[in-house]
Amino acid sequence: MSKYLDLSIKEINTLLKDKKIKPIDLVEEAFERIDNNSDLNAFITLDRENALKKAQELENKEVDNLLFGIPIAIKDNIVTKDLRTTCASHMLDNFIPIYNATVVDKILDKNMIIIGKCNMDEFAMGSTSRTSYYGAPLNPWDKTKIAGGSSGGSASCIAARLVPLALGSDTGGSIRQPSSYCGIVGMKPTYGRVSRYGLIAFASSLDQIGPMTTNVYDNALLLNAISGHDDKDLTSSYREVEDYTRLIGSDIKGMKIAVPNFFMSDIVDKEIKDKVEEIINLLKDNGASVSYIDIDYIENAVTLYQIIAMGEASSNLARFDGVRYGYSCDNPKNLEDLYKRTRQEGFGDEVKRRIMVGSYLLSGENATTYYNKALQIRDDISKSFKKAFAEYDLIIGPNTTTVAYGIGANLDNPSQTFLDDVLVIPVNMAGLPGMNVPIGFNHEHLPIGLQIIGDSFEEAKMYQLAAFIEKKLNLDLMREVVK
Amino acid sequence: MSEYKTTVGIEVHAELKTNTKIFSSSCNGYANMANTHVNVVDLGYPGTLPTLNAEVIVKAIRASHVLNCKINKKMHFDRKNYFYPDLPKGYQITQARTPIGVDGYVEIEVDGTKKKIGIHDIHIEEDTCKSIHYNNSSLLDFNRAGVPLVEIVTKPDMSSSKEAVLYLEKLRELLLYADVSDCKIEEGSMRCDVNVSVSKSSVLGTRIEIKNIGSISNVGLAIDSEVKRQIELLESGNTLHEETRRYDEKSNTTVLMRVKETGNDYRYFPEADIPYVILDDTYIDNVIQHLPMLSSTRREIYLKRGINPVNVDKIIQNRKISDYLNRYLDKNINLVMASNLLLGDIASYLNKNSTSMDETCFNEEKFIQVVNMLDKGDMSSKIFKEILNDLFESNESIDNLLNKHGISKMSDDDLKAIIKNIIDNNQDNVTQYKSGNERILKYFVGQVMKETKGSADPVLVNKYLLEELSK
Repeated sequence: MSKYLDLSIKEINTLLKDKKIKPIDLVEEAFERIDNNSDLNAFITLDRENALKKAQELENKEVDNLLFGIPIAIKDNIVTKDLRTTCASHMLDNFIPIYNATVVDKILDKNMIIIGKCNMDEFAMGSTSRTSYYGAPLNPWDKTKIAGGSSGGSASCIAARLVPLALGSDTGGSIRQPSSYCGIVGMKPTYGRVSRYGLIAFASSLDQIGPMTTNVYDNALLLNAISGHDDKDLTSSYREVEDYTRLIGSDIKGMKIAVPNFFMSDIVDKEIKDKVEEIINLLKDNGASVSYIDIDYIENAVTLYQIIAMGEASSNLARFDGVRYGYSCDNPKNLEDLYKRTRQEGFGDEVKRRIMVGSYLLSGENATTYYNKALQIRDDISKSFKKAFAEYDLIIGPNTTTVAYGIGANLDNPSQTFLDDVLVIPVNMAGLPGMNVPIGFNHEHLPIGLQIIGDSFEEAKMYQLAAFIEKKLNLDLMREVVK
Repeated sequence: MSEYKTTVGIEVHAELKTNTKIFSSSCNGYANMANTHVNVVDLGYPGTLPTLNAEVIVKAIRASHVLNCKINKKMHFDRKNYFYPDLPKGYQITQARTPIGVDGYVEIEVDGTKKKIGIHDIHIEEDTCKSIHYNNSSLLDFNRAGVPLVEIVTKPDMSSSKEAVLYLEKLRELLLYADVSDCKIEEGSMRCDVNVSVSKSSVLGTRIEIKNIGSISNVGLAIDSEVKRQIELLESGNTLHEETRRYDEKSNTTVLMRVKETGNDYRYFPEADIPYVILDDTYIDNVIQHLPMLSSTRREIYLKRGINPVNVDKIIQNRKISDYLNRYLDKNINLVMASNLLLGDIASYLNKNSTSMDETCFNEEKFIQVVNMLDKGDMSSKIFKEILNDLFESNESIDNLLNKHGISKMSDDDLKAIIKNIIDNNQDNVTQYKSGNERILKYFVGQVMKETKGSADPVLVNKYLLEELSK
């Protein structure tokens, strides 16, 4: 059996160009791997027929870009025309969108091949992907562990090398945290870098789509493909798209790096801190300077996140009322019954919990006490980060306080899982880009990741550092999962 | 009961006359079929995002300007959250905290005294879709979903139905002439909700809202009947509760719709999908400079050009007539004559045939010619009436039309000859005239007009008759 999908995008591209392989070889291999690893539960919907058809069509086309013919998986909260998009919810179990998200159009423009839709937390609400209506995806490094969330299916399928590329979304760490748990590269770009049009909204002021890949270079390539202003998204930036690979391979000598003290405090597992320390030393040895700093209110970010994200979510999810699309309860007695039962039966517990808390937080005086106050403190966090970036090129630290934990752990404590995201959420609060790059394993051989945070639109510099670390460590991140 | 004081505040929703909807590229306009001006954004489809139509901002700035409001230069949108089938997203995008215009006024004239009605604010929002209740089910037409609106909220500054009606008429005129809205209440492009309370003291009474009244005159009737109802209830010892009522035209009474629930909570919060809109002075000034000529300016000009106040009001009430008349402001014609024609025979013809000047053969050149002929006495109004239909329906020149009707323009010599002939053949009457019976002159004029089939200029007829009779 072939193992083309273990190669880098550049290597696959050379084979395609030299006509040694065809796109259909990649697609068939992807489905074979997916079938052999169906226990990972990484996908909700597969698009076998169309993917094979598209691969055949591409045989007569010129291989005109690096991403041509590469199989890609899409998180299931990004709408795909004619391809079921569920948000991992019973509410959208039968939902076939009639339009494409802007990122999906961009992917099709580059002639990538969409393989299927990835499992996730219901409406991206969760840190473990266990709130999925379709059951949790598993961590390929240890199938008794969570893949993380909410982009757990995307992380799982990349870590298992089922496909080389995936899209995730990150509202409060949902790309970086599962990437860290699964040992892959994941980037949450600057808010506004990638169009949100067609991303089913969870928290509009925080949501951002980003690439999840096996290595840094491929990640930058995919970001190149999906970035750019979109007239359909007023929050998307007019800033020109740069080549995000352009600094990969450059020296890091003289780079000024900061580590927030909070990121290395007692809340983080010792094994993870040790690994990050090793990286700090590696960077120092190679001519970078590393300083410890404080970011104001960073320790309050989770609380702010809960207020802002749940408030926005309670409004964003109001449209699922059983009137126009999605689940609609049987034989409603009247309008109120339609609303109540549709939402009662269509949403899972975590989603309902967040809608209720969010509605409460926006009610009457609470809007001023909580929501508006949270927005103010969020501004202060942004300013504090800005101040740091006036002095430093990049900020680093761990992405998670622990490695991936047991699939059954912490299930009875819904607020505990928010603490999984304590280190990734500040980045969303400030709208900054943040990424994960694997830096090693713990004693159980579970992946540990490093978070790199950049100033707005400094993704290229982040890739520069990530690629440097990746090359120096040269970790064996290949999981022997293909049976 | 005369000691009760009435207090009225009015909320008006006006649909903005834009090409596309406020947050999507769907057409904003009349559609024959339900759900044809609709796209995924209007349906609140998952994943869709609003865009912002710049035309809406322009029209809302215009509205703020003519209502003398201060303009919010940094404004954002808010979400108003509630569940209803006509609200596709489960929230309405509106402006709660930073309305585009605040603190303005509309000046009305009540029995010769000027009064300013305060405008609390004017804000931009999207319309909901239209529910049509049919048998036991409700049908939804999304053509209206996302149509841009401005909501104009007054302060409780009106103290009678008369003031309310005057305010609405004035408001309608202001919005119409600023090209903000076509303000057709009957078609729903202008909708009025009225808040009415009565009180014997300086403390305002319980506020009752009357929703969606179908015409400006009905607003007056609704207020009068509501005031009467409230006073009767209070006088018989009842307490009023805040409620929403509607006006029933047949019985001329207001009817309860629903009692207001306390703490109706719309959970307003800033709309994160639309960034702050920053309006700089240059932008605002540019919008204001490009306003069409406002009604106040038109009034001034018309009065100055000698049109009587009653006719000026009639012209202003009909934007089409005013716009047409304005084409001739800098042409050398008698504007009084022109406005008389437009309000009189021309208006009747256009109404009867449901058409407009530009759709007929009566072009600007002919209009100028006709006005000038009438003005100089080269054509009598009788002849004008005679050729009126042809002016609209035939491409022929005015001279040809006159010929066709057997009316040729008469030379002075011809006219003098006719006059001489009539005098020669009526010597008896000449004698009577000369002996002091001046009424005989009228008889002669009549004879001349009869002979000339009315084509002679009465002024000239008089002049030549006198000359001939004095010989």
